[in-house]
Amino acid sequence: MAKREKYQNKIEILQGTLDLLILQTLQWGPQHGYGISQHIRANSGDVLSVDTGSLYPALHRLERQKWISSEWKMSENNQRVKVYQLTSTGKKQLANERSRWEQFTDAIAGILDPAKS
Amino acid sequence: MKSRFWRRNRRNEELEDEINSHLRMAARDRLERGEALRPVEIDVRREIGNVELIKEVTRSMWGTRSLEQLSQDLRYGARMMLKRPGFTIVAVIALALGIGANSAIFSVVNSILLRPLPYSQPDRLMTLWTSLKRPGYEKISVSEPEYVDFKQRSKSFEEIASYHQRGLNLTGVDEPERLQGAEVSPNLFATLGVNPLFGRNFLSGEEQPGHGQVVILSHRLWQQRFGSDRSLVGKSITLDGKPFEVVGVMPPGFEFPTRETDIWTPFEVTSEFLSENYRGSHFQQIVGRLKEGVTLQQARAEMDAIADQMAKQSPTIYRLGYGIVISPMRDEIIGDIRPTLLVLFAAVGFVLLIACANVANLLLSRAAARQKEVSVRAALGASRVRLMRQFLTESVLLSLIGGLFGLLLAYWGVGVLMSLAPSNIPRTDEIRLDLGAVAFTIALSLATGIFFGLAPAIHVSKPDLNDALKSGVRGSSDSAGKHRFRNSLVVAEFAMTVVLLVGAGLMIKSFIKLQEVNPGFSTNNIVSLRLVLPQSRYSTFDKQTGFFKEVNAKLASLPGVQSVGEISALPLSGFTNDRSFRIEGRPEIPGQPNPDEEIRFAGPNYFATMGIPLVRGRLFTERDNADAPRVAIIDEAAKMRYWPNEEAIGKRIIYNGMQSTVNWIEIVGIVGNVKHNGPDAKEDPEIYLPYSQPLFMSSNSNVSALFIVVRTALDPSKTIPAIRSEITLLDKDQPISNIKTMRDLLDESVAQRRFSMLLLSIFAAVAVVLASVGIYGIMSYSVTQRTNEIGIRRALGASTGDVFMMIVTQGMKLSAIGVALGVVGAIGLTRLMSTLLFNVQATDPTIFILIASLLVVVALAACVLPARRAIKLDPMKALRYE
Repeated sequence: MAKREKYQNKIEILQGTLDLLILQTLQWGPQHGYGISQHIRANSGDVLSVDTGSLYPALHRLERQKWISSEWKMSENNQRVKVYQLTSTGKKQLANERSRWEQFTDAIAGILDPAKS
Repeated sequence: MKSRFWRRNRRNEELEDEINSHLRMAARDRLERGEALRPVEIDVRREIGNVELIKEVTRSMWGTRSLEQLSQDLRYGARMMLKRPGFTIVAVIALALGIGANSAIFSVVNSILLRPLPYSQPDRLMTLWTSLKRPGYEKISVSEPEYVDFKQRSKSFEEIASYHQRGLNLTGVDEPERLQGAEVSPNLFATLGVNPLFGRNFLSGEEQPGHGQVVILSHRLWQQRFGSDRSLVGKSITLDGKPFEVVGVMPPGFEFPTRETDIWTPFEVTSEFLSENYRGSHFQQIVGRLKEGVTLQQARAEMDAIADQMAKQSPTIYRLGYGIVISPMRDEIIGDIRPTLLVLFAAVGFVLLIACANVANLLLSRAAARQKEVSVRAALGASRVRLMRQFLTESVLLSLIGGLFGLLLAYWGVGVLMSLAPSNIPRTDEIRLDLGAVAFTIALSLATGIFFGLAPAIHVSKPDLNDALKSGVRGSSDSAGKHRFRNSLVVAEFAMTVVLLVGAGLMIKSFIKLQEVNPGFSTNNIVSLRLVLPQSRYSTFDKQTGFFKEVNAKLASLPGVQSVGEISALPLSGFTNDRSFRIEGRPEIPGQPNPDEEIRFAGPNYFATMGIPLVRGRLFTERDNADAPRVAIIDEAAKMRYWPNEEAIGKRIIYNGMQSTVNWIEIVGIVGNVKHNGPDAKEDPEIYLPYSQPLFMSSNSNVSALFIVVRTALDPSKTIPAIRSEITLLDKDQPISNIKTMRDLLDESVAQRRFSMLLLSIFAAVAVVLASVGIYGIMSYSVTQRTNEIGIRRALGASTGDVFMMIVTQGMKLSAIGVALGVVGAIGLTRLMSTLLFNVQATDPTIFILIASLLVVVALAACVLPARRAIKLDPMKALRYE
């Protein structure tokens, strides 16, 4: 019980949006898994947390779809890390996902706040 | 193929590295924030969750071919099994018991009932019998003239052969031996489609008088008595004092008509046997091979027509008509073992079902604990089919391991079965755990795995996603439907156990009843043996009786021997000899058969030695010899049948075919009934005649072979060596056969019942253990599930007694329903085994009540343990428990 309360102020990432977040993060340059999760957390003001159990399956799935590619590199701390980067099809996919997401948020916003639209 | 596995291995290592680097980085960040080292590790682990599961799910994103998926599932399943060794061991033991018992019994059923007989095209082999169309004579042996009629008139058969059993004394070797043999028509082996291993078959014409001094030996006899000497063929051996030329040796495993048959000789067909006088002398067994394409129905139709002709041609012999009975040889050989085997097979089937229900229940409880894992997989896009496949792979893996152990169990079990099996079960030496049984075991294991894995797989693979994801590992309570399913599994287990137990109980009660039966003679401290005197040495009646009197005197003077008696056909020995007779003052009625009963030739001390009580009149004495008037003793059954309301002593009877000098035989005594054919047989009328009085014309058969019964003060088997050496001293060429104590004979006569009772009891015991483990498991699980509820109840003021009762009542309700259903099922099912029962109704109320209460007690014991755990729970902890 107590354990769960600690995370109560964080929002679990909606199913399907994790792909978008990963692709978007990788747009800024190659990054390893831990870096991606930290980036998402930091850039959402510590609101969004990526479950490790979802992150790696998602990375491997995206790689299989050839939207991202990976290679082993040495990190700044001299550790061997697996680094992911966006491919050209991945960039197209990111654009698609973004426009879909915008449609989605617009639609939600329209419902929540009808006066604005 | 290989490279793909290498690649996969490398990918696995990389995944491992990737996750590890993630862990290290997460830990470093926390350290830099100033947290202590140990909690950091714990926190990181906690935050990330089940690392193995993450890897597993990630791997599933790689996309795999089905074969790889299978090996992946298998590895995952193996890992899950190793993680929970207790669960795995219980499940494997249950499955091994269930599958092993089935494989063992299947081996027996397969060998005896299913595998073809070891003859060429055995489906075409038929046995033929005579029917005289009157009670007790509907399916009897065939006479020589009848056999000739069959052969000459029928067109349905390729070959028809005849044979009958005959014992022979083998002499002229180091130790004389009484051998089981058969006198056969020369075409017997051709009919069966089996040729001698070497040497030649009998030739047509060797049935002619003077041409039949040839013999074919069994492989066993050739090996054991003649040192596997191939040059034996063409040489002569001595049988019943006469020389016979060995012409062939049969292949090993050829056992016809019985397993003990060691010698085959042509039956010498004299003109006497072919005469119409012999039409009523039924002693031949007939086997025929149907022509290719002729059906059993066609053969029956043809033989019916032939039988009608024969009845018309010999109306005096076939007064009530004549019929020919054809039945497949396989049915004759398998005989009455079929219902026993089918009942046993059904019983092991139940054991397996119970084991399945148990394992399914275990899997279901475990599946609840894995709900979280399943939910994660489902959330990450694993399809329902994929999840079911994963679970089925695990259960099939489990059952295959169970099957493997089951196979070992069966291999051992078949050996044990063989050593326990009574010798009168047919084809026992053909029984082995063959490829068919192995294939059966594998198929059964696969089917079992799918069967017990399906329900948990279906249940698990449709999780309520949100609920399961949000709650912890434990919190998700089972739906009502799942509870109901699990409960019904326990109910079914109990029901099936009741059926098995009732079956075993009925068999045990039958057996006890059988043991209580008074066979009419004493079985303690009596040893029996049989002496068959060869015609060549004891050619006259006086020589024969003289020898038996000498044997009697010698044996009676042995220390520890109390009395010695003689009888031509010992109870339980299987020997019979019936003859028809006429009663003085009662005219023969045309169209009605004469009375026909067993006759037994006895010595003066027979009744005293065997403990058969004299009811009235007198026993035989030394004075009842060849010169004295002929006398007879009857048993009470004969008195009841022929003189129910009058004095039988003093009445006189006469047999057909008696010597001309002999007249009426007077009944001088009545003795108690004897169950000659075993404790489960009925008591037939018997007529005893003194062996020292010659009666019949054709031979002096009454004393050419007698059983000697010896009553001793102490253990009778200890006197056997002394008895042997006394007889050998009298005649060194005289073989001694059938040496056995009466106790052993009685035990053998009930061995088949004992065997099936034992097996059924073992299966029932396994069922009880499995069922009690089942109810214990579900009650323990239920207590765990209801811990919170129990805490609330306690907090609200329920006493420990209330909680105890609540748990016990819940369990007892289930078992009571199971027992009730089982009783209903047993009433229906045990009817099918009524042929196996003796003096017990298939619905015997004491058995049913006993079994039902036994199971209720077992269930109570299995519920008390979890209930005690429930009341020991600290209410405060229980409340917080989740």
